[in-house]
Amino acid sequence: MTAMMTNAGILALEAAPAEAAARALAIGNAGDRVHAKVTDRADRPVLALTDIALTFGGVAALRDIDLAVAPGEIRAVIGPNGAGKSSLLNVVSGLYRPDRGQVWLGERAFVQVPTARLAAHGVARTFQNLAIFKGLSVFDNVLMGLAHRVRAGFLRQIIGSPRARRIEAENRAAAEDVIGFLHLGDVRERAAGSLPYGLQKRVELARALVARPTLLLLDEPFAGVTLSEKLELSEHVRNARDRYGATIVLIEHDIGVVMGLSDRIAVLDNGSKIADGTPDEVRADQTVIDAYLGVAHQDVTELAV
Amino acid sequence: MSAAPLTAQLSPGAGAFAIVVGAAIAFGAVPLFGSDYLMDAVLTPFLALALAAVGLNLLTGYAGQVSLGSAAFLAVGAYATYNLHLRLPQLSLIVDLVLAGLVAAAIGIVFGLPSLRLRGFYLAVSTLAAQFFVQWALTKFGWFSNDNPSGVIDAPVLSVAGVTFTSPAGRYVFSLSVVVVATFLTLRLLRSQSGRNFIAVRDHELAAKVIGVPLLRTKLLAFGVSSFLIGIAGALWAFAYLRTVEPAGFNLDRSFQILFIIIIGGLASLRGAFLGAAFIVVFPLILSRAGAALLGGVFDSGVLEMSQRIVVGMLIIAFLIAEPRGLIALWDRLWRVVTRPAAIRNT
Repeated sequence: MTAMMTNAGILALEAAPAEAAARALAIGNAGDRVHAKVTDRADRPVLALTDIALTFGGVAALRDIDLAVAPGEIRAVIGPNGAGKSSLLNVVSGLYRPDRGQVWLGERAFVQVPTARLAAHGVARTFQNLAIFKGLSVFDNVLMGLAHRVRAGFLRQIIGSPRARRIEAENRAAAEDVIGFLHLGDVRERAAGSLPYGLQKRVELARALVARPTLLLLDEPFAGVTLSEKLELSEHVRNARDRYGATIVLIEHDIGVVMGLSDRIAVLDNGSKIADGTPDEVRADQTVIDAYLGVAHQDVTELAV
Repeated sequence: MSAAPLTAQLSPGAGAFAIVVGAAIAFGAVPLFGSDYLMDAVLTPFLALALAAVGLNLLTGYAGQVSLGSAAFLAVGAYATYNLHLRLPQLSLIVDLVLAGLVAAAIGIVFGLPSLRLRGFYLAVSTLAAQFFVQWALTKFGWFSNDNPSGVIDAPVLSVAGVTFTSPAGRYVFSLSVVVVATFLTLRLLRSQSGRNFIAVRDHELAAKVIGVPLLRTKLLAFGVSSFLIGIAGALWAFAYLRTVEPAGFNLDRSFQILFIIIIGGLASLRGAFLGAAFIVVFPLILSRAGAALLGGVFDSGVLEMSQRIVVGMLIIAFLIAEPRGLIALWDRLWRVVTRPAAIRNT
């Protein structure tokens, strides 16, 4: 704890918001050895949630959620259906405005993250139900991930001004790189909507990666894909972190896949965070086992009877 | 890149060759050897409607914003060109056309504002406002038609830099040049990032927003460019084709006609816009000729007129069921059948 206070002090000298971020880190990972040793400014959490609460018409979707995601981490957020996983991701990407709490992206705090500026802040996300652009080719889909970088007006784009051409060439090179990285070269000119589901998922991942985001949010990336595709996709996710340096937060329903993939796992149940730690810690956690095996629910049934 | 619209499947050399041959026929052979009837009653209206369809296709086919206000923007283009020519005679006709397009674009952007909140049918209904408002304004305020009591305007002589285009061939070549330039620039736009943004907004608006596509700017750009093109098409329609127009000529029927063109031709395809326009212009002519020849003695012309509409209507339905992606999909399939044996022989 002393180390952490010192840490907060050092950071506060450098940037005022860092103190709150460090505090979030302290709250979110109380007793966590890895983060207690943190003294380097570069290890400020890429994403921190402080005391997030969200209700829909009186029903609590998220209650007092604190979460800190360290740079370069693959962090899974798991939980049964209706636990609030998607709500959490939507809060981070600004689609929902939380009733309370703040979202920290690096050293900037938001009450509601501006969705339209998400890419500019270095955040990319995928969607649970595919959100690729069916009418565009695979290559153009990937290129779309850099849309926010095109700062030339449409007239410049029509006449092909030097600036517009330079941006286009840079973006094409970046897209080409990701296409090769995710082995999409064979289908690069195909209409994305005509591809099998697993490939479409990969296209969406490529589109998210092409802007080299500091934070990559994956909403149930393994939902609806076959087992072999799952293994392949999780390899791609790991490579995305290793090669592109992206910090990854992934939402997953299926606890099996994420155990091997994630550095740390947060478990949500009924809108609250019930556990947060390494896969081994989470696997051994009695509350997690109860939530997943439904022991608590049995008690409720008995009480109701 | 310029070789793309009609020759996407050809090799670059063959594509360039096809373009040269096409240009030689369109700019050379047709004006020299074509009949006045062909150019006046078929090709010139075809070109004007095709350009309008290119404009609407950009908005509806590519950017996914449904509009029923096309005729209004045709009217704005026609009346703006007329007034610019009348009140600023020192301007060249080309400048008039561009300015008229910009006026139509400005009005298109205003009526495109609801698209930020409305989608699909609701947006289509709100664009009807443009349709009714423009027609009303042009009839109500005499200034637009230089105080003609019925709002009728007569086209000035088309002349650019001392060259006049009064003959059917001249008006056809003038229209063709405008349409070719406008279509080429549209193609450039559609292949740029702005063009990809249109499709992204159409296919998944939320994902587009998360990626950082500026939704407001993209939608209004689509409305603006679309109305610009339709406005210029309106000027061609009024000055190169009809030469005397009234506001009632730009009614809802015309808007629907342009919408049918892009649906029949194929959404999100510039080639489809041309094919659809050809179908809509040529098919009724063929049908009425055939009808008059076969049944002219039996039915009067009014019955023929109505039965012709019924047949066109049924064909539209048949098309939508058999090939929802329009004539262009049929064309491409036919093209593949024709070229595949050649490809096999080559390998």
